[in-house]
Amino acid sequence: MQELDTVIELSRTQFAATALYHYLFVPLTLGLSVLLATMETIYVITGRDIYRQMTHFWSKLFAINFALGVATGLTMEFEFGTNWSTYSHFVGDIFGAPLAIEGLMAFFLESTFVGLMLFGWGKLSRGKHLLVTYMVALGSNLSALWILVANGYMQNPVGSVFNPDTMRMELTSLPDLIFSPEAQAKFVHTSIAGYVTAAIFVVGISSFYLLRRRHIELAKRSFRVAALFGVFATVGVISLGDALGFINGSAQPTKLAAMEGLWETAEAPAGFNLIAWPNQEEKRNDFELQVPYLLTPLVTHTFDESIPGVSDLEVDAEAKIRDGIPALTALQTLRENPDDAEARATFEAHQDNLGYALLVQRYVEDVSQATDAQIAKAAADTIPPVAPVFWSFRVMVVTAFLMMAFLILAVIYSLRNTLHRHNWFLRLAPWMIPVPFIANEAGWIVAELGRQPWTVYGQLPTWLSASTHSVGYMIFSLVGFVLLYTLFIVIEMYLMVKFIRLGPSEDTHVPQTEPTQRHSSQWSEA
Amino acid sequence: MKHVLIFLFWLFVAVVAISLTIVLGERGAWYFAWVLGTVMIVLIAAAGTAVIDARYDEHHDDQY
Repeated sequence: MQELDTVIELSRTQFAATALYHYLFVPLTLGLSVLLATMETIYVITGRDIYRQMTHFWSKLFAINFALGVATGLTMEFEFGTNWSTYSHFVGDIFGAPLAIEGLMAFFLESTFVGLMLFGWGKLSRGKHLLVTYMVALGSNLSALWILVANGYMQNPVGSVFNPDTMRMELTSLPDLIFSPEAQAKFVHTSIAGYVTAAIFVVGISSFYLLRRRHIELAKRSFRVAALFGVFATVGVISLGDALGFINGSAQPTKLAAMEGLWETAEAPAGFNLIAWPNQEEKRNDFELQVPYLLTPLVTHTFDESIPGVSDLEVDAEAKIRDGIPALTALQTLRENPDDAEARATFEAHQDNLGYALLVQRYVEDVSQATDAQIAKAAADTIPPVAPVFWSFRVMVVTAFLMMAFLILAVIYSLRNTLHRHNWFLRLAPWMIPVPFIANEAGWIVAELGRQPWTVYGQLPTWLSASTHSVGYMIFSLVGFVLLYTLFIVIEMYLMVKFIRLGPSEDTHVPQTEPTQRHSSQWSEA
Repeated sequence: MKHVLIFLFWLFVAVVAISLTIVLGERGAWYFAWVLGTVMIVLIAAAGTAVIDARYDEHHDDQY
């Protein structure tokens, strides 16, 4: 068991490291593709060449980011098979389809159109090139949609049923899977978070140019379009984050309790823990600073509903474990004799809580012999690590409001044409570039660490999901990933900095798509 | 003939949009919100930038 625990922890560490690393690139791709389409739309509408130069310049940075995003995403798809083979077997029927469509979207739709977008200047007409850029934006976001549908299933498994004969989850309703509230809310929140990331990235680099009085015509317009784009996106991402929290509250009450540091059930109107030091061993907060009355409306969207805390959720989990034990015992009988009608009837009566019985199997092989202490231990396992989830959530929320304030100021200064009078803001803006990335990573930690101890919430515990590799193999592959990905990030940073320093001056040779007389007569060329 | 074809094309686009609205509005309210929200963000950012650009050009304002 000791070695199994180590392998699971190493598998988790490897997946978290590769996913967090991959997720550095994804939001920028999602948002920058839409921002590029916005810039090119202005070019097509106004006919002003400066917007073509803008689109072309930012698309170079997009391409660097896109290439590394695809490369690091590929690794993760294989990782499901290599490190999480039990999980892949258990939910392959459901998880496989969205993952395959995601691959098709990313590698066929998106990559093909990225090629056309980058090399189609001067070869395609304005309208066709714009269409291609929109297809890149659509492809990027649809690719994210499918992986988030798969992830939504892990958070809230719907549209499926466990088949005791095949020992797999089987799809019963594709629409239920695609339109699950969890998948929907996760997609819109993640996608719009990408828009904010791209907006702050463009505002930050444009400010760098403005401060140094380089490429002013391009930088001030890039700043303006990104600020307008970003300010609406931040409002969206905050309100959609609230929606996701609301959906989480009913689908994953344990995650919600961890996010809010709630050890006891909070009766309405409950206070919101602004700051707290959660102590998981003693199941209390060592210190807490509360905003009175805020939590109940925030989480339940009512003024009178109570919010379950860790203690009650553990009691609830204990009852589910006890209810699930007969299902697991019956399942073992069915595996030896599939025609045992009594075992099948017992299984069907208790199968809703089969996953909870699997939690206690970590401590005792024959779950029918589980002691009260073992059941209590398994019930305590249903609570995710509270402190990291609690603090990651607050980091995400604080950075979101910080970005909103920053972008509101950016819009005001840009629309008033007074940026040159606010050098402090231009100096601050490049330092804001890491902020959305921190927010995105914190959001990932809330979503995925908050799902523990499950890979598929309520159905498959993490401890059962990993492959049976040796500790040595896991350490070897983990070290390999860390070294390779460190090299990747060095290359990414080198290329980004190189092209940002070069700026758009090298772009002037890019042939224009056919100009129209109507446009050039109405707008002076910048 | 060309105008008829263009009209039919946009009619088809409108029918698809309405159908999508009905389906997404019924089962995928958040997806529908994303479609609408993205279109709005793109339009406001594009139109806002173009309009402001034109206004400052009229005043020959080369500040930023």
